[in-house]
Parts: sequence; C-alpha cells; structure tokens
Amino acid sequence: MGLPTYIAKRALVAIALIIVVGSLNFAILHLAPGGPETVFLNPRITPAAKALILKQFGLDKPIQEQYFLYLEGMVTGKWGLSYFYSESAFTVIASRIPATLLLMVPSLILTVVIGIVMGILSVRRPYSLLDRFLSSFAFFFYSMPVFWLGFILLTVFAVFVHVLPAGGMTSITATGFGIIDYLWHLILPVTALTLINIANFSLLVRSSMIEVLDQNYIMTARGKGLSERLVFYRHALRNGLLPTVTMLGLFVGSLLTGAILTETVFSWPGLGSLTFDSISRRDYPVVLALFFIFSILTIFSNLLTDIVYGLLDPRITYD
Amino acid sequence: MIDASTESRLARASKFWRNYSRNRGALFSFFFLIALIAAALLANYLFPGDVEAPDITREMLPPSFSAILGTDHLGRDQLALIIFGARTSLIVAFAAGGLLAVVGTMAGLLAGYFGGKMDGLIMRIADGFLTIPVLPLILVIVSLSRPNLFNVMFAIGLTGWPVMARVVRSDSIALMKREFIEIERVMGASSKRILFMHLLPNQLNSILVYASLSIPAVILTEAALEFLGLTPLSVSWGFMLNVSMSYWLRGTWWMSFFPGFAIFITALAFYFVSEGLKEALNPKLKRRRESLAAQVAERKK
Repeated sequence: MGLPTYIAKRALVAIALIIVVGSLNFAILHLAPGGPETVFLNPRITPAAKALILKQFGLDKPIQEQYFLYLEGMVTGKWGLSYFYSESAFTVIASRIPATLLLMVPSLILTVVIGIVMGILSVRRPYSLLDRFLSSFAFFFYSMPVFWLGFILLTVFAVFVHVLPAGGMTSITATGFGIIDYLWHLILPVTALTLINIANFSLLVRSSMIEVLDQNYIMTARGKGLSERLVFYRHALRNGLLPTVTMLGLFVGSLLTGAILTETVFSWPGLGSLTFDSISRRDYPVVLALFFIFSILTIFSNLLTDIVYGLLDPRITYD
Repeated sequence: MIDASTESRLARASKFWRNYSRNRGALFSFFFLIALIAAALLANYLFPGDVEAPDITREMLPPSFSAILGTDHLGRDQLALIIFGARTSLIVAFAAGGLLAVVGTMAGLLAGYFGGKMDGLIMRIADGFLTIPVLPLILVIVSLSRPNLFNVMFAIGLTGWPVMARVVRSDSIALMKREFIEIERVMGASSKRILFMHLLPNQLNSILVYASLSIPAVILTEAALEFLGLTPLSVSWGFMLNVSMSYWLRGTWWMSFFPGFAIFITALAFYFVSEGLKEALNPKLKRRRESLAAQVAERKK
C-alpha cells in the first residue's frame, strides 16, 4: 500500500471520528436532564420563537430523523443559537478563534523549540548536574496547575511590580491595532502556557535520544571514527526527534485544555474564556459547539501528524 | 515471583519497604500523604465548629498568627478550608483513579487475551478517547448532567482509562506467549481462569504503578473543573482559586497562593510515590535507575 492510500485511510478514520463526536454530542443532548429542549431553548423565549427553533432543529420529528438532521447541521454550521448573544453559536465561536490562535501559536512554537533545546542539552551529558536541573525544572512546572501559575505571575508582575498588564488582550487606552500592545499583553499568558508544557517535549527528547544513542548504528558511526558532534547531530538527532512529531499531534489537545484555563485566568477573549463564561451562563448550545470545534481541531492535528510521520520515517509500512 | 513465595509475608513487606524508602522523595511524599489523609479524616476535630460560617469582622486578612494562611473573602480561616478541601481532592483522586484502573485493566485484559476483533474494537475505542480532547468532554458531561461529586468522578474515570488499557494489553500479549499459560490452555483451562488467575495477578504490580501515576492527572483535572466553577462544593481547592479570581487585583495573594500550592504539592507527592512504588516493585530497574522525569516521558510516548 502506498502513501496516498495510507493518507486516504487515515482521513476516513478522522471523518469517522468526527461523526462519532457529533453522535456523542447528540447523545449527551438527549441524555441531559430535561432533554434537548432545555438545552436549546432559552427559558425566556416567546412561544413563536420556540416553535421555530424546535422546527429548525427538527425536534418535532422522530428521533432517528433528528439524529441525521443533527449531523447535517453540524456539517453545515447550524450549531444552535446562543442564549446569551442571541446569535448562532457558530458565529460566536468563529469571532473568538483569532484570539485563541494568537495565544496558542506563539506558545506552541516556544514550547517545541525550548523543549527540544532543553532535551538536547540534558542528553549531551545524561545524569549530569545540568541534566538533573533541566529535568527537574521541566517536571516542576509540569505538575503545576496552569491557572495557579497564572495567578502567581499576575500577582508578581501586575500587582506587586506594575510592569505587565493584569490580563486582557489590549489596553483600554489603545487606539487602532497596536502590535506592541498585543505583545505586551501576550507575555504573561504565553509564559504560563509554555512553562507548564515544556516537559512534554524536553523529557521526551531526552528519553528518546538516550534510547537512540544506545543503538548499534551509532556504535558503528563512532567506530568509523566520526566526531562525537557529527554522530550526535547528524546520526542520532534525526531519529531521536521522530517521537516529537507524534507528540505534536497529541499535544494540540493538551494545549487547548491549557488555553481554556489560561485564558480564564488572564481574561483573554478567546475560546477558553468563552468556554468558562458559557458554562457559568448555562449557554449549552455554545458549550456543545465548543466541544465539537475542540474535537475537530484535535482530530485534524492528529491526522496531520500521522501523515507527516509517514513522510519523515521511511521505515513505516502502511498497512 | 517464585522465590518470593518461599519468604514469609513479613519478610517480603520489609524488603519492599527497604527498597521503597531508598528513594528519599518517595519516602517523604508517602509521609506527607499519610499526614494529609489523617488531617482530612480528623478535620472535624482539628477545626471544631462551622468552618464555613462567614465572619465579616475578619474578611481577607493576610497570613498572621491568628490565621496562618490568612482568611478568605468571607473571613473564614483558609487553613481550615484547605484541610476540609483535602477531603474532596482525595476522595475524587482515589475514586476516579480506581475507576480508571478497573475499566482500563478490564479493557486491556480482554483486548490482550482475545485479540482479533475484540482487540480491534477495544483499542479503536481507546484511540478515539485519546484523540478527543478530554477536558472539554468532561466539561460537557458535567455541565449538562447535574454537577455533583459523583458525576465529576465518573467523567474523569470514564475518559482516563485508555492509557491504562494500552499498558495492560501489551503486558497481556507478552504473558500469553509464556509457557505456563500455554500449558494451562493445553490443559483446557477456561478463559475466566486464565484471565483472573494468571493474567491479572501477574500484572498487579504494573497496574498499581500506573494507577498511582495517573492520580496526579486526576487531581489536576478535578481542580480545573472546580476552578471553572463546575462543582457545587464551596470547600474545595479549585473552587477557592475560582473565588480568588474576583479579588486578586486587591493584592490578596494568599487567597490564590495557598489553595493552588495544596493542589501542586499533592499532585507532586503522588508522582513521587508512584516512582518509589515502581522502583520497589521492580528491583531490577535499580541498576539503571531512570529519573522520575524519564518515567513521565516514557508514559507520554
């Protein structure tokens, strides 16, 4: 089986998973106390609007028909009506996506780069003082609740020493689009989100490199008289970094989770604080739609990872 | 396994303890957790009276001799609240951790023993759970059902089992190739007998280690749910942080620092205990003792 077939197969699995998530959403809706009516209907709604929504979501039809209508709605962007904004949940979510990406992308890049560099530094001399320091450093932040780290950073840098803003994405006084102002507000949330995630990569690179450096082909390379530098960076690192590609796919999920909590602490106006607000407002259509979009993001990043991994590692057989 | 059975139970226990206590961090963490469990159990005696009763004369006092960890926005002693809050965290940690271990073990055993279609089905479900973002899923389940402690435990347990299932599955497959199981099968032993008399007992050690390794994640997830305001309990570490969000701008650092520190230190203690268990149960590992860090990385792979 060649690569294109493999990609097609993985894509089919991803689509199947999205349908499963949609079905799960549907099941949760119907299993919730009070059923979909309490979920989709604002209690203060007029009878006419109620009838309209019931019809729009096909809630007057038999359940199997409702199911297909629901899946169809998921694909076409009919994700229900937010109680709070009186707009479609799809629109509400779409307007928050840029802010979340603004937080996630820099943090993702920093986490991967710092993580890999730290991993390489520790594995250059395993069990040395530097290795132990770097590993404990990564592990220390890894066991921290990100919202707590956020509070500490805020208290120190925004309350005790007034050097950085106390949350939000822009200053109230800012006019127009000031890139400096955005960066200013990004420092603390990105720092918190990055610190707790570094361990995912630094410890992985470390353990995978230790494994690779133990293999026969490395011994051969050394035996040929190649310099340690060449063996390490050209021969070992290529294979040692392969697991980080897999990690990247799995990581997007935990990055999203971290973003939900980080945004809440730093009142960052993205999907995370929307999740928090929607839960406290009992805005169920938005909560369900958020779960759906988070799932799609994770599933696609996993799909992408599988494909990239297949391209990078010629040893992979597609079966 | 074989030579262990000839020793007395007491000798085995003392040998285990010797191996375990060689790891200082694990030893210290063990005593810390014992103290925390004792304090949580005895909370009613340590802090008699209604610790949740507001006292408007003592609102948001910084740490002092009368309240070592300060007081919260309602004038309640934070130390008392944190000790009572330990109950929530520990109950959820053990219950959800236990549920996750039972579901994961059963799934892994069945997949590893029967193989074929059963294996395919179970592992695809596990893969599915691994690709769906867990916290949002738990958020949806808990916010739509009635947010109570039981639902929180159920949701965490239900979403956390796949990693456990993978570990048990691969160990089961390895065990199935061993001679003593082949002999049992030739002699016509029932599936039930092989599953519960051989596969399960031979993996109890690694099951215990992985269950304890998953507890920190359970604690952090539960704290995150409380922080997002999803449990009705006012006395829990995560919820104390949730409340502190409205006050920190006034400089009330103790309202967020101490509850968060409790979460952090408890999660860390469970990590260390799990490392100690791993070393004590697999003495062979000691020769090339991997750091705690490598252990986590390995699990992540």
